[in-house]
Amino acid sequence: MSENPSIIALVGNPNSGKSTLFNALTGKNQKVGNYAGVTVEVKSGETYTPHGKKLQVLDLPGCYSLRADSGSPDEQIALNALTGKLEDLAKPDLVVCVVDASNLERHLQLVLQVIELGLPCVLALNMVDVAEKSGLRLDPAKISEELGIPVVPMQANASKGIIELKQALRFPFPHASEVSWLSKTGDIDTNRRAFIASLCELAARRPDSHQRNFTDKLDSILLHPFLGWVAFLAIMFTLFWAIFSFASIPMDYIDVSLGSFGAWVESLMPEGDLRSLLVNGVIGGVGGVLVFLPQILLLFFFIGLLESSGYMARGAFLMDHVMAKAGLSGKAFLPLFGSYACAIPGIMATRTIDSAKERLVTIFVAPWMSCSARLPVYFLIIPLLLHEKEGTWKQALVLFGIYTVGTLSAFIVARILRGKLGPDKVVTHFMLELPPYRKPQWSYIFRHVLDRGWSFVRKAGTIILGLSILLWALENYPKSDSKDSAEVLAHSALGRIGNVIEPVFKPLGFDGRTGTAILTTFAAREVLVSSLAIIFNVEEADDDVKTRSLIRAKMQTAKWPDGRPLFTPLSLISLLVFFIYALQCLPTTAVVARESGSWKWAAGQFAFMSGFAYLASLLVFQIGSLMGF
Amino acid sequence: MPASQSVQRQLTLNEVSLNCDVRISSLNGPACDRLRDLGFCEQMQLRKISNGRNLVCTVCGAKMAISRELAEQVLVAPIR
Repeated sequence: MSENPSIIALVGNPNSGKSTLFNALTGKNQKVGNYAGVTVEVKSGETYTPHGKKLQVLDLPGCYSLRADSGSPDEQIALNALTGKLEDLAKPDLVVCVVDASNLERHLQLVLQVIELGLPCVLALNMVDVAEKSGLRLDPAKISEELGIPVVPMQANASKGIIELKQALRFPFPHASEVSWLSKTGDIDTNRRAFIASLCELAARRPDSHQRNFTDKLDSILLHPFLGWVAFLAIMFTLFWAIFSFASIPMDYIDVSLGSFGAWVESLMPEGDLRSLLVNGVIGGVGGVLVFLPQILLLFFFIGLLESSGYMARGAFLMDHVMAKAGLSGKAFLPLFGSYACAIPGIMATRTIDSAKERLVTIFVAPWMSCSARLPVYFLIIPLLLHEKEGTWKQALVLFGIYTVGTLSAFIVARILRGKLGPDKVVTHFMLELPPYRKPQWSYIFRHVLDRGWSFVRKAGTIILGLSILLWALENYPKSDSKDSAEVLAHSALGRIGNVIEPVFKPLGFDGRTGTAILTTFAAREVLVSSLAIIFNVEEADDDVKTRSLIRAKMQTAKWPDGRPLFTPLSLISLLVFFIYALQCLPTTAVVARESGSWKWAAGQFAFMSGFAYLASLLVFQIGSLMGF
Repeated sequence: MPASQSVQRQLTLNEVSLNCDVRISSLNGPACDRLRDLGFCEQMQLRKISNGRNLVCTVCGAKMAISRELAEQVLVAPIR
């Protein structure tokens, strides 16, 4: 045997529980949902046989068949992985076919196709509890005998049957099974179906009458042509309301802690550059962004809850009608809705869309669904616009308007682009599995939320920290002898950069300082808050609500050289419009390039969105000025 | 039953009434393979649950939503 660990591939229909099993086997935290297509690429982990041999476990994307001509990228990836055609991945030594025991007739089609590839297989008969509840009479021994492969009944989400599965994975691996259905004459698909029908008749008999279960009862409301929409809107409203109201409590704690920390550091150190760097550059810059962590965690929590419970697919079903107006299908709803949290997983989830052109269009417009990184910017500007403290219903209304503008613009551009790209070579139609409602898997939701939270904190500790330090240095050097902070800033590198770029941003209503702050956001948009704090020389207060209000106070008193106020309601709207449309996230551009398979597409999207943001902002400010605002 | 009568009783899935149990007699159209992948195979029993722009039906214990264009390609016969 070679030194490399043997490779085990998990294969199965979408939503059969592969990712849950993968997590149970490897102890990893692969994202788990209750809708088709949560796994959109091959994930790898490690496990050990009962005798301590290391195994590499691959979680392949869910697929309904292994036909090379299916047109689905997921199915192509799964087929390539199983035939050893993926780069850097050898052909698997053993395949674990994961099937939903309550849907055997459908799921066995894929199992038979895997066996036909000549690979040794083990059948993981998952969700036996659901199958038994629905009255299905399962006979795993008979299934094993007929297929000629080991069969392990299990319930992966409750970690039942994992030990038995590991026993089945011990060396030597089982041999590839005989393919009895291929020896018959006639069409291979027909033979396969006939074999499955007779196998299910023998070993997985369904009760004769259709039983109305909990999912059916709930669906009679949630898929109802009228009540379904009432429920959908209520769920979406509750989600957004909860994010903004629940988050304020932990946000206040973070504010107070960061403020006290800043004051403590300040009290320990003598006045000088190092203290200024730590308090104003590092704590002020990073802290200003970290305070939005609770809102981001809550957004991911609620999206995880909708996915895990099975409601997300119902949302896609209801939204198909609305998405059609934008030339998209209901399947584009899941990626676009996910993009409200973060465009990166949203763009990756577009792999579940069958039509290649619809997929490209969805990728193109996804960054216009206002992601969570824009929230810090909106929360800074909206209260300033309304001359209010944070957290009033008027601000919530403006925020809702911002989300609506972004979404509507995305739909309009999608419609135009879909028309320009023309119809697909292969006509695709809407088809979607509506999974049964399940209790959310809390442990996975929380681990996923913590993962996303950690990734945000890491970003704050790397990109945002780096930019904060750079900005602080640009703002403080070269040094000036003057005591006047405006003169000090004008003398600094930042002040000089601002002077150079001011003519570009002036038609939008911004001066060189705001222009510089905007320039710093092209790597990560949430940097705006810390950039403005540094540029306007805002000192860290006891708590961050105060810090934000100090930034606002500075912005309110900031003036053009001729004495006019710098931030008028019109220039603030212009700034908001710029942030709704600009694509200021380097990781998103990298993911778009990978998913669309073209850097040109990613560069085109970046150029289009930046240009559009500039033009929209310009139009708002210029037309508003002409109208006397 | 004579073959001619059996042919007369064939309906497309779009024409089936709600909550009616039917058996798939044949698939006819360009998306046959995809429909079979999703479980809409000949001789499978299904129940139509909702109508509209897309239909919802249960097949092999799973609930599937498919467009009316796809449903037009599924020919069914009522179960007595």
